[in-house]
Amino acid sequence: MTEPVLRVDHLSVDYVVGAGTFQAVTDVSFELQPGRVVGIVGETGCGKSTLGHSIPRLLPTPPARIRSGHIWFRGMDLLALPKWRMPSLRGTGIGMIFQEPINSLNPAYRVQDQMLESLRIRRFRDAGVASVPAPRLQPFDYSRPGGTKPTPSPAQPFVGALPEAMRGGRPIAKELRKEVLDFLRLVRINDPERILNLYPHELSGGMRQRVMIAMALSEKPSLLIADEPTSALDVTIQAQVLTLMKELMGEVETSILFISHDLGVIAEMADEVGVMYAGHLAEFGPVQEIFEAPQHPYTKALIRSVPNQYKDQGPLPSLPGSVPNLSQLPPGCAFHPRCPLAQPVCRDDPGPGLSANTAGTHPAACYFSTEVAGLP
Amino acid sequence: MPAPALGGASAAPGATTGSRGEGRGSPRRSRLSLVGASVVMFVRVMRANLLTLVGFILTVLIVVTAAAVALVPAIGDLFHLSLSVLPYPPNQLFTGPVFSPPSPAHLFGTDSVGRDLFSRVLSALPIDLGIGVSIAGFSVLLGGSLGLIAGYWDRPWTLGGVQSLVIMRVTDVFLSVPSLILALAISEVLGRGTVQSELAVMATWWPYYVRLTRGEVLAIKNQPYIVAARAAGVSDGRILFRHVLRNLLEPLLVYFTMDIGTVIVTYSTISYIGIGVPPSIPEWGNMIQAYQDNLVTQPWLVGSVAAAIFVTVLAFSLLGDGLRDILDPRSRRILAASAPGQGGTKLAAASPGGSDS
Repeated sequence: MTEPVLRVDHLSVDYVVGAGTFQAVTDVSFELQPGRVVGIVGETGCGKSTLGHSIPRLLPTPPARIRSGHIWFRGMDLLALPKWRMPSLRGTGIGMIFQEPINSLNPAYRVQDQMLESLRIRRFRDAGVASVPAPRLQPFDYSRPGGTKPTPSPAQPFVGALPEAMRGGRPIAKELRKEVLDFLRLVRINDPERILNLYPHELSGGMRQRVMIAMALSEKPSLLIADEPTSALDVTIQAQVLTLMKELMGEVETSILFISHDLGVIAEMADEVGVMYAGHLAEFGPVQEIFEAPQHPYTKALIRSVPNQYKDQGPLPSLPGSVPNLSQLPPGCAFHPRCPLAQPVCRDDPGPGLSANTAGTHPAACYFSTEVAGLP
Repeated sequence: MPAPALGGASAAPGATTGSRGEGRGSPRRSRLSLVGASVVMFVRVMRANLLTLVGFILTVLIVVTAAAVALVPAIGDLFHLSLSVLPYPPNQLFTGPVFSPPSPAHLFGTDSVGRDLFSRVLSALPIDLGIGVSIAGFSVLLGGSLGLIAGYWDRPWTLGGVQSLVIMRVTDVFLSVPSLILALAISEVLGRGTVQSELAVMATWWPYYVRLTRGEVLAIKNQPYIVAARAAGVSDGRILFRHVLRNLLEPLLVYFTMDIGTVIVTYSTISYIGIGVPPSIPEWGNMIQAYQDNLVTQPWLVGSVAAAIFVTVLAFSLLGDGLRDILDPRSRRILAASAPGQGGTKLAAASPGGSDS
């Protein structure tokens, strides 16, 4: 097995605000292998977005505070890097796609200007003008079984042309423009020449999200964090965008951390799935095992609550109780007050660590993971 | 590693082979057409917004007149000629009958010693306009940069938080004293004179811009597109100067344009009190002071000076109001689309939000 692109190691993140300390992420560990998609699924407020934002260190600190843990990105501990090194790692190292396509493009600039900015950042870093902690090497075999071989990147090495770029020479401007068009075509925008000169408010939501994806991909990140990229889109556009992202992964040779609250989307996208509850990673495993043989009672309940489109089964099953307040987590396992399998030990003991539990086919943070299959 | 059951990733058609669009439209031509498009857009916006058009024309007239009044004698000097656009030298006595009401010979009439008021009002224009632009400009630069710094780096318990705190408290100190009183006090200390009083107004004018800029920066820097830019690896400086500043431009430029009028009024007040421009140089403030005794008997004296101030302030206010619509890409396109033929009726629909300065 190759070295993982991303290894999150016992990460805990708090929000320290006036009302108290909110433990948004507690002791989360997982790995992301190159060329794979890891999905993080959970309810609103379970800490998935905090987790996503904490990896490129985009959380505002304060109020956020990374209490403990490590984030290893291609062998570098991101939390140990000095803060001023982070901008040179974002974009080309770790890219990000956000939830709100409406507001994620600067309203004052045309699509062209914003795309060019991303492209210039990558070109300058590739040319070695800006020193980068992790150069955009391609040490992994990204070819996916059943997929096509990744096409060679449209950007040629930039070093020879550099002085011209410094002078703002015309050939470079033309070449950059061509590349912008290429990336817009890559995300299936039909009329890229027209889109180039439009302002964000003149695009539809789906278009904006495609432009965002094109911008993120044009920097060719080793890791792409997609924070609910399709939640603001309607279902047909959502399906298109998801298919697109999956197809483009191989093309730009990236790995994706996909965050969503939608089990269907996760099932579609992810190779491995992490289920989060109240800041804890309840379960982590291959997508098929998670859906067919969940090892944690919360996952089981979550899957059970998805409405079946074709059958009328009466009222949807729901869990008693509600998500605990993150500033006052219950003692022991965070899920025990709502858990059908809860035993006294669950209240007294925080439960087995995710990796320590080898009872089932994949790790789950539950003492009774073998009994989950027997639940309704 | 187990093979994931995922759909085949097909190559994007036209992704790397897309050579369709280039060839036509060289960069030079596209840049030219961009300038052309901006001009067309400007004309359309102007046609859609009649008041802005009035403000724009008035402003251009005022600036051109001021330039002509100030530059024509200087150019004449180069060729040893005495050229001027003014009908009479502003300080020449007895150009006509004393206290002559407005007439074709003396458009604004004459004063108690027979000086031509039209020449005097016009000769004051470059001085007053220069003072207005320089004070407002200085305030935009100083107040704007301080506000930008104080708003962008303001995390508590860091160096940025400390400088932000210091800037804002100093600003508060300045704002807590009425600016006219403070300007009077400062110019008393510096001594009387044009430059001294101008410096005094400058010293009291910038804090408003710090407040305005900081507030806008605080709002802009938490917008998702700034976070997105940061996530894309854009450096802090570039975010500040490209993303934050561009979105600041609109409120700042609007406020600046309208403020030129306010500065002219304030400076005239200081001059009126008698500590600004000395009486030997015609200036609107000291002219009103000189003519105030004749307010009832010869109303055209104060009236024509007041009208000059009024028109100047109005021109910049109207222009400033319209700039808001022009600078915002959103309303610009709406305006341009609604322009052809049907002028001012679209005015109300096209300007979103009220004036806020």
